[in-house]
Amino acid sequence: MNPGYELPQDEAGYSFGFLDEFAKREIRRTLLKAISIPGYQTPYASREMPMGRGFGTGGLQLTLSLIGPGDTLKVIDQGADDSVNAVNLRHFVELTCPGVDTTERTHEATLIQSRHRIPERALTEQQVLVLQVPYPDPLVIVEPSEARRKVMHGEGDYSRLLTKLYEDIVQFDEITISHRYPTRINGHYVIDPSPIPRYDVPRLHQSRALVLLGAGREKKIYAVPPYTDAMPLVFDDVPFRIEDFRDGQGHRRACSRCGATDSFLDEMIADDGSKTWQCSDSDYCNETLATRTAQIEVTA
Amino acid sequence: MHEARVNTNSTDQHAIQPWQPLAQQAAFRHVLEAFSYPGRVVSLGAAPNDTLTMLLATLVDAGVTLADPLNQVSADDRRRLDAQLALPDRAQFVVSQGAHVPDYQPVLGTLESPEHGATVIVCVESLGEGARLDLTGPGIDGETTLHVAGMAPGWWIQRSRWNTSFPMGVDLILVAGRRLVALPRTTRIQVKGAH
Repeated sequence: MNPGYELPQDEAGYSFGFLDEFAKREIRRTLLKAISIPGYQTPYASREMPMGRGFGTGGLQLTLSLIGPGDTLKVIDQGADDSVNAVNLRHFVELTCPGVDTTERTHEATLIQSRHRIPERALTEQQVLVLQVPYPDPLVIVEPSEARRKVMHGEGDYSRLLTKLYEDIVQFDEITISHRYPTRINGHYVIDPSPIPRYDVPRLHQSRALVLLGAGREKKIYAVPPYTDAMPLVFDDVPFRIEDFRDGQGHRRACSRCGATDSFLDEMIADDGSKTWQCSDSDYCNETLATRTAQIEVTA
Repeated sequence: MHEARVNTNSTDQHAIQPWQPLAQQAAFRHVLEAFSYPGRVVSLGAAPNDTLTMLLATLVDAGVTLADPLNQVSADDRRRLDAQLALPDRAQFVVSQGAHVPDYQPVLGTLESPEHGATVIVCVESLGEGARLDLTGPGIDGETTLHVAGMAPGWWIQRSRWNTSFPMGVDLILVAGRRLVALPRTTRIQVKGAH
């Protein structure tokens, strides 16, 4: 976004949160149904936002329908608060929601909008996580007709999706889905949990915080309520695996910046071809670094 | 911009509160909490007599249908809500009363579109005392207990009938005084104790 741009509030008379009250009410009603039917892709009238669809408009519409004065918002993109998508969305909320605080610290936030990651630090009952979703329907790879997919979802019929996973194992000895891993919610609906890595899928299971997923382009909202089963789709004899961060010797790689060995790592390739690994969650990395530095100071 | 005229009279303040966007936003967050954690009693922060109005103003507008077979919503509020009125077996939102066991079946939705299942708002005498309900299901950490007074036992029989074929079903909101509790279709209820 152009840093000099100012929303013409006086002329246009935007309401708090940019969306009009009818749009918010419709999203709010949809949210309650989405929670009541865990994992069901509830249709809603996705509004035009002053940014392209595919840039997080689904998540943003949820955030704007939820947020109010007294809320503290954190926006992350691939784990980082300072990447383009996160900065722009946060800036937009600051412009349109006077009285709302923003933060980069997970534990201070009441509302967290995220693209592609769930924060490392466990969320609490006082927090709501909003995930931006590009493709909401996991069945789209096996069935092109939405009408038929809706019946399959209703019946909990995921045999064709399981066949796809089986074919992967036959061909590659491994299910080849790295992110957006199909996950069954409360034993019925299978969702696309948005492009979070496999590493984050177990965090959805029995989460303390409500998780809401918004797909603006596809006009769908769905939810993983707190304390609800979220099981990745697997076979009895092929257990679910998360990303493997061990090096050649079998040691867990540590973040090159903060030294954490218990976080999801991004692989960085330098110009000379050498690789380093660093926490994807920037707030977690900063916190771990601060704790380490404080410990060193105490012992010194 | 025009200077909004603010009436400082306190009774008028109460009367207009449910129709203010920021009051609705705050109320919605409480309703969201109630649906996320079924059995948890929340307060909407409205005056005791205004809780039903506050709830309706937060969720209902000209885009939905409303049934009020027992005339529990005042004519003024109905006009302000601007919802299309419908019969209780057709409406998306039904306002009902705990003492009256429903003789209708609300909309349950379809297998393809279970979100069409109705939201039934039931006014009861009190939450926190009365018959004991043991609740399990999504949103509940293990099991939780809810006490409800003024809900005829027939309600629970009807509710379990409506909710036999998940994903179809009906979501309940119980309202008493300032407080409310949500019982989405996924919540399993075991009724214990006298009514």
